[in-house]
Amino acid sequence: MTPLKPIPARHRVALGIGFFALFVLAWAAVSFGGLVPKTFLADPLTMLREGGNLFARYGFAWDVGITIWRVLGGFVLAAIFAVPLGVAMGAYKPIEAFFEPFVSFARYLPASAFIPLLILWAGIGEMQKLLVIFIGSFFQIVLMVAMTVGSTRRDLVEAAYTLGAGARGIVRRVLLPSSAPAIAETLRLVLGWAWTYVIVAELIGASSGIGHMITDSQALLNTGQIIFGIIVIGVIGLISDFAFKWANQRLFPWSLA
Amino acid sequence: MSKLVIEGVGRTFPGVHGGAPTVALQPVSLSVADNDFITILGPSGCGKSTLLRIVAGLDTPTTGRVLLDGATVTGPGVDRGMVFQSYTLFPWLTVRENICFGLREKGMPAAQQDEIAAHYLDRTGLAAFEHHYPKMLSGGMQQRTAIARALANDPKILLLDEPFGALDNQTRALMQELLLGIWEAERKTVLFVTHDIEEAIFVAGRVVVMSARPGRIKAEVAVDLPHPRHYTVKTTPEFSALKARLTEEIRVEALAAAAV
Repeated sequence: MTPLKPIPARHRVALGIGFFALFVLAWAAVSFGGLVPKTFLADPLTMLREGGNLFARYGFAWDVGITIWRVLGGFVLAAIFAVPLGVAMGAYKPIEAFFEPFVSFARYLPASAFIPLLILWAGIGEMQKLLVIFIGSFFQIVLMVAMTVGSTRRDLVEAAYTLGAGARGIVRRVLLPSSAPAIAETLRLVLGWAWTYVIVAELIGASSGIGHMITDSQALLNTGQIIFGIIVIGVIGLISDFAFKWANQRLFPWSLA
Repeated sequence: MSKLVIEGVGRTFPGVHGGAPTVALQPVSLSVADNDFITILGPSGCGKSTLLRIVAGLDTPTTGRVLLDGATVTGPGVDRGMVFQSYTLFPWLTVRENICFGLREKGMPAAQQDEIAAHYLDRTGLAAFEHHYPKMLSGGMQQRTAIARALANDPKILLLDEPFGALDNQTRALMQELLLGIWEAERKTVLFVTHDIEEAIFVAGRVVVMSARPGRIKAEVAVDLPHPRHYTVKTTPEFSALKARLTEEIRVEALAAAAV
């Protein structure tokens, strides 16, 4: 192995799949080999069977749907408000000076710690789930977008000024397009965090969703279902990640080497 | 009448962390006539780029003022086109869209934009690359696009800040010829900053020599080589004599700069 030396694409794929296979093998070995009691860790086949059960008999598809809806709802809501505020903060220093200290403080407030409060305020309905995700995503997006916009190459801004651009032109035709790929990347990252928040919210107080299914299964000591639920979350996360990457490559071909 | 008048323009940068302020540019005065091609020649750090940035309106002078057609410069504007040493094409726009940036900002109808873009794409030999993104272009092509972008705006004066400084020698020589060809055809007023003596003579009607930091104008040398200028002019005795003279002027300054 040589540091930083690239490897062929098929080797990379083979290695990536290889670790997945190794992981499942190790899991199968400890569970089938009886090293761990079945009560604590189901084997891979039981997990798959339980997963089939969940979809066929317990309407798990609906739970998955409702969880996805919550994540997207809360995330889109946060992005709609956070991106424009972040852009304004990055572009205009007085606006940044006004909001930045508070947003930086609010970013460290753990979204999950708000759940008890939000249950008091909004009950255990949809509004509470959306708010948890909103709180968890909003401040992060604001800060990262503001930083991206604020670090736009100064020479590009100067070039635009000498070409006759005014304040509006600088924001719309330089700051926004130059920051767009990094903003999309920020959204991809934060969407991943939003998945964590929704599951926590569903674990604590919910009557539907993947997190709710997981708490139910815990009460029944059904580790197969719990593991299946966790894997479903991982797979959805992976798919949304790929979708984002694909969309970014399509939207910003100029940013590729 | 002078097109551009630089009146006692000086620039002092405030000291950092309570240190002494830095004088980047001693008060400088210079007049540029319509259709002049002036090069400002000086060693690194002599404040020549600072002077150009002040003319562009990207920096404010500590003393003095800049007048363009009698009006004081207070900030950047379309009447002064600028080409930077660093590559400043907008990476998200194609070559053609980059050239049209200023025109679009003016709200010019698309048909008229296309006409102007086509003219400058042709002039700079970029017609085949109009739909390329800057990342796909060589350094020379990027700077050609930057020149086309500045000229498309039809500025009163074109400001060039060591535009070919990052290019290899061969490309640099071709770019000088291209720029000179454009000037011979369109007779724009040009202010060109460089530290390359040969470049300064080859393109200019007049070379302004600046001293080492803090910069001031040390000498002004008229270049009476005929137009249109062919690259072979660089091997004539007249050219060599100018080069010898400017080499002496600059050498003293470079030594002074190195001693600081």
